[in-house]
Amino acid sequence: MKIKFYLNKKEIEIEVDPTIRLIDLLREKLNLTGTKEGCSIGECGACTVIVDGKAINSCLMLAYQVDGCNVITIEGISEDGKLHPLQENFLKTGAIQCGFCTPGMIMSAYALLLENPNPTEEEIKDAIAGNLCRCTGYKQIIDAIEVSAKELKG
Amino acid sequence: MINLNCKIETPKNIDELLKLLAVENFNSKILAGGTDLIVGKIQGSKRFVDTELLIDINKIEELHKIDLIDDKIIIGASTTFSEIENNKIINEHLPLLKKAVSKIGSLQIRNRATIAGNFVNNAPCADSVPPLLVYNAELELISFGNKRTISLENFLEAPYKTQLQKSELVSKIIIPVPDKNIIGDFYKLGRRRAVAISRITLAVLCRIENNSFDDIRIASGAVTPIGKRFYEIENFTREKRINNDLLINLSQMLGEEILKITGLRWSSAYKLPVVQQMFYQLLNNIVIKK
Amino acid sequence: MNKEFSVIGKSVIREDAFDKVTGKAKFADDYKFDEMLYAKMIRIKATHAKINSIDFSEIENQKDIYVITANDVKGKNLVGLIKHDQPIFCNEKVVTPGDVIAMIVGEDEDKLEHLAKKVKVNFTPLPTLTDPTKALDPDSVLIHPEEKSNLIIHHPLRKGDIEKGFSESDEILEQTYTTQLIEHAYIEPESVIAIPKEDGIKIIGSIQNPFTTRRIVSLATDLPLEKIEVIQAQLGGSFGGKDDTMCILSARAAVASLKTNKPIKIKYTREESILESYKRHPYILNYKVGYTKDGKIKAMKIDILADGGAYCSMSPFVTWRTVVQATGPYEIENVHTDVRAVYTNNPYTGAMRGFGSPQPIFAQESLMDEIAIRLGITPDEIRRINGYKNGSVTATGQKLQNHDVNILTVLNKAVALTNFSNKWKEYKKEKSVLNEYEFEKPILKKNKFIDPKKLYQKGIGLAVSFRGCSLGAEGLDETYCYMSIEKNGLVKMLTGLAENGQGLRTTLIITAAETLGIIPDKIQFLETNTSLIKDSGPTVASRGTIMGTGSVKNAAEILKERLIKIVKKGFHLDDNDVIDFRENLVFSRKKGLLTNFDFVCQLALEQKENLTAIGYYKSPEVHWNEHNGQGDAYFTYVYGCQVAEVTVNIGTGEVFLNKITAVHDPGTVINRLGALGQIFGGVTQGAGYGIFEEITHEDGMIRELNFDQYLIPTAKDIDEIKPYFVEGNDIYGGYGAKSLGEPTLELTAAAIANAIRNATGKRFFNLPINLEELVLGKKIRPQNLNRGSL
Ligand code: FES
Ligand code: FES
Repeated sequence: MKIKFYLNKKEIEIEVDPTIRLIDLLREKLNLTGTKEGCSIGECGACTVIVDGKAINSCLMLAYQVDGCNVITIEGISEDGKLHPLQENFLKTGAIQCGFCTPGMIMSAYALLLENPNPTEEEIKDAIAGNLCRCTGYKQIIDAIEVSAKELKG
Repeated sequence: MINLNCKIETPKNIDELLKLLAVENFNSKILAGGTDLIVGKIQGSKRFVDTELLIDINKIEELHKIDLIDDKIIIGASTTFSEIENNKIINEHLPLLKKAVSKIGSLQIRNRATIAGNFVNNAPCADSVPPLLVYNAELELISFGNKRTISLENFLEAPYKTQLQKSELVSKIIIPVPDKNIIGDFYKLGRRRAVAISRITLAVLCRIENNSFDDIRIASGAVTPIGKRFYEIENFTREKRINNDLLINLSQMLGEEILKITGLRWSSAYKLPVVQQMFYQLLNNIVIKK
Repeated sequence: MNKEFSVIGKSVIREDAFDKVTGKAKFADDYKFDEMLYAKMIRIKATHAKINSIDFSEIENQKDIYVITANDVKGKNLVGLIKHDQPIFCNEKVVTPGDVIAMIVGEDEDKLEHLAKKVKVNFTPLPTLTDPTKALDPDSVLIHPEEKSNLIIHHPLRKGDIEKGFSESDEILEQTYTTQLIEHAYIEPESVIAIPKEDGIKIIGSIQNPFTTRRIVSLATDLPLEKIEVIQAQLGGSFGGKDDTMCILSARAAVASLKTNKPIKIKYTREESILESYKRHPYILNYKVGYTKDGKIKAMKIDILADGGAYCSMSPFVTWRTVVQATGPYEIENVHTDVRAVYTNNPYTGAMRGFGSPQPIFAQESLMDEIAIRLGITPDEIRRINGYKNGSVTATGQKLQNHDVNILTVLNKAVALTNFSNKWKEYKKEKSVLNEYEFEKPILKKNKFIDPKKLYQKGIGLAVSFRGCSLGAEGLDETYCYMSIEKNGLVKMLTGLAENGQGLRTTLIITAAETLGIIPDKIQFLETNTSLIKDSGPTVASRGTIMGTGSVKNAAEILKERLIKIVKKGFHLDDNDVIDFRENLVFSRKKGLLTNFDFVCQLALEQKENLTAIGYYKSPEVHWNEHNGQGDAYFTYVYGCQVAEVTVNIGTGEVFLNKITAVHDPGTVINRLGALGQIFGGVTQGAGYGIFEEITHEDGMIRELNFDQYLIPTAKDIDEIKPYFVEGNDIYGGYGAKSLGEPTLELTAAAIANAIRNATGKRFFNLPINLEELVLGKKIRPQNLNRGSL
């Protein structure tokens, strides 16, 4: 099946087997290995990417379903080699330990800030409740998102 | 790399879809959000082992919207939980449904999972069921050349079994707009603060007039094999004066009803006392709010 | 000690963080190679069984599919970190459901999945042993008959005269506690690739200890160590959990790769990961304590049984830490402890963050509160009466010296920060506020309904601990560091200690930067590769910081010494001038600012000075008598106190974690961001241990195989964590830095348990204190393994 979609702001056209998952298209076919797989059943959020502005689990979506959509992955949020404020603040607040949850976590935060530039702490927690992190205890991640929201508002 | 190993069709409109469903010799399943189906397929769940064809309904706009027509709220079958949670009509008229769907899974799941997908397989822990039951939801089922309406309650037949025929599709959920004076609440108990499968869910809608219940509707999920309305308790309650004894009495009755259905099982030791306690608390909250 | 530093203690961004926020960081499964094949494990649904035959006939004629069995293992099929009791492929019998019988290898993962079902294994089920309390019965099933007994290890400890101690006591309290099986739940499942090389093999994987992996791969393949190169990919969490399992997976991949001469990747699904990987030991802990009316503990008799599961793994060391620390940080004259680990057919257990301490802390800290309550004093008072002071003697007969024994300092700080005593008295219940329910009469009597105003009950509880640093008498304890300075002033360093995702490298970079007087950006950490550096022992037992900083500081000091000489020569300074390196600049005491660091490195080149060095750090001598459990177990200790504030819904048994205050003395804090992260992460894991995490099994078969059933805390489960550091002095390690990773985790469950007691008036003896435990005082489980959603 031939599909056409925007991936990290570039339009691509590709032939996909309709029964593979989006995560496999990204990781195996397109070599975008920033998106991680931790559980394959929609529980850990490591595979989170953004499809048409919404955070979704790429392990629970079929690849062809992004036909005509706008997909953003961790590889696509920094511009001209400049880190996105979320990336910058994840670094600064110590939001990263092993880093395996980080791409998914940043994508969930990115989707949150798209929709809600002024999130409360509770709203941030709700947005990342589907992203498990075993290392950080979440605190510094929440801080990073809070600071980024402030910076993005300018 | 995981492959679902089956055929996929993506009909563009209802007509195409119904024709596909009408094909007898294919073992097909509807693919909407995929959050249940893809997991089931990957894990080799019995429900999907024989599935040869997936019919993806995401391209069909008609199945994907929320409308208020006359005094009915119509929710398209493939409307996602997030869309329901953030919809004005739902917020205004169906607060229990909003509350229930906002507690399902994670945001990523709610962005994909659909309302019909939540109950078509009739799992006991489908969180949207108790609120839909107390809102007297009806379903529109369509098939090639046919259309019928059935109450959700009748649709849910037995655990993992429904009235849905092989060639049929749940197309809409139809909910009469509740009376303005109706109040109520939804309660969910899970093992964790977020992204938890429900251990107990309860939904109560009522109208309180002169300190008595003028109308009350009660439903539960996860404590009974399928989501359930409790008519006997509802009938008993009507026009009774509200006081602590009544609330206790109702809670005991709920316990008895559930016990009748489930008998004493391993989980009863915990769930039976707790469901009575929490029903009592829920009633208290509603009465106090009033 | 002067604790004024220029880099140490500041917040420094991790050296590897940039790659991690951009998705560039390469974890094991992100590596791909030409012609790479995948391997699929063959298992059977049995807990204990004799294998009669394995029939591959249905797949044998498949093109490009290889079968790998024990016959392909050229070296030893039985391996293990301590005892060689774990087969790489189980060709004779399985002793636990995670066991792998054989592997099939091919290009297409999906096809392998399909073909695996066609392998027919004929087996005879054997009687199973899943109750550890029956393991030592004379007629018990033997898990490893060649061992003659199911006893893995017994650690006795005898101090003073236990009977005399009890006779001098006014009261005696005896209680039994249990803890559960716990999954590490690193978010990255195991993955490894073996790549054939001209004369040897290269392994890249999610490996915790590259050197151990190399040793096991060498055993299995019969290749000498130097022909095996092990590279640690970015590790997606480990917590002690990617050791034995990864060694065996690496060995399997290596065996397959040698047979096929192709790169072989093994990647586990979450289900396989939970099924096969080892876990944290469940313990049964019996404590009998004698104390006087004034609250002085006179005697403690402890009997602990650890379920080691099907293989020995690290059980002997895990339980050794338990025997050393089982009394808690209390000075007790008469102690009599027995800790045993036994084999069963259950999932095997080994190293996990905490390493034999969270279990006894739960028991001992619960007991301390019970004693306080019986004596009518507060929990902090009983600990002040008995807690270690400088010069106290531990249960192993060790005198605590050469460092600040800060147990009461951290306790007092935590008590002050939380207004502990007042809250504790305010929330305290004279008797249990929880209902008793009768299973047979499930309809509640009127008086059982909870007054809505009393549904939520608040509680506060604390727990304290001491913890030995590094390996102690477990084994040889030394580390190495190679360091070189390039002519452009760039410092490269390499240690034999592996990064586990916790930020160890950053800590070591800071240590080098501090010593050399440069900024951390100038230091580059080289990949850990077993071919390049000597084994520095495993990154376990929170030894990374204390041992690593020791060798890094040593290397940096050697180089600095030389740099000073170079400066003096280059600038023609007096011999007695004092040279200072600060923030990339170089100062002379007499002449002030001289130049910058880079220039000195160029000078070195001109003067033909060698700017490479090997740093070395060896832990001070410790000794141990295994017959009576006496000796200096560890060369130094750290101390911590955590306070949990909770709200309990006494109707449902839900525990809301409002605030955890964590006060720790880790010695010097090297990297503040990293140290805070260790507290937040450790407390969160500890909280999961306290209230919901649990692997359960039915006759050895695990129920919770993925994150839908095995629940770990989400962002919403703890409202607030408040960290606080007390930086005690110590003569050991680089700059007095000790350890933090494990202490943060070991206390939380115990503090929560005490807070629940304070809130409800009822003591809970079994972890986790989940919904059923709280409401019914026991665990209830379904009789079969069918999951609700299937
Ligand atoms: S891998 Fe998709 S949610 Fe875990
Ligand atoms: S940083 Fe390791 S899982 Fe989040």
